[in-house]
Amino acid sequence: MIYKVSYVVRGKAHPGAILDASRMPQAGDKVSFGGVEFLVEEVIELMPPRGGFGFLHATCAPFCPQENSPE
Amino acid sequence: MSVVELLKRVALFEGLSEHELEAVSTVCRERSFADGETLVRQGDTGDELFVIQDGQVEIRIVGILPERPIVVLGEGQILGEMSLLDQGFRSATARATAPTRVQAIGRHEFTALCEQSHHIGYLVMRNLAADLSFKIRHRNLATM
Repeated sequence: MIYKVSYVVRGKAHPGAILDASRMPQAGDKVSFGGVEFLVEEVIELMPPRGGFGFLHATCAPFCPQENSPE
Repeated sequence: MSVVELLKRVALFEGLSEHELEAVSTVCRERSFADGETLVRQGDTGDELFVIQDGQVEIRIVGILPERPIVVLGEGQILGEMSLLDQGFRSATARATAPTRVQAIGRHEFTALCEQSHHIGYLVMRNLAADLSFKIRHRNLATM
């Protein structure tokens, strides 16, 4: 299955991206677009799958290594 | 990766048989763009659709303030489809934000292929409509 993913950045700081993924993204994954790294927060199905393609929507937040590193 | 293998991974061509994908591959022309290079410019006439093979492309509309990209498109995504369909001017500027390779499909060749095979034409047009729908849904969510 190939997943077409609509990534939207929380807070409108970035317009987001549409990228393909070979596995379904999960909350906690890192994704990079437009030269910036983001953390996936939530993933939902945007449209029903068609053939070998899934259509998802993911909400992201900018990835801040200090905030996201284990204490 | 052969062009047919690439096309199999692109939702625009979902449902096409191996034979039909081979027919589509004959009208694809590979083009490369350096990081920062412009693929299409808003307001220009356009007669090609691009399938992103690798790299990333940012889409920007001049005149919207504050001026910033409206979306970033990656591997497997398409751009330029509006001018291909409605023959209008390019609605946005597309610029590579990394070294990017695309497969370009010209309007004349695309139309001829769809007229030759109505099955290819039906599936590609259905998938094209679904892709536009996906982009509108993305845009709606991005501006909420």
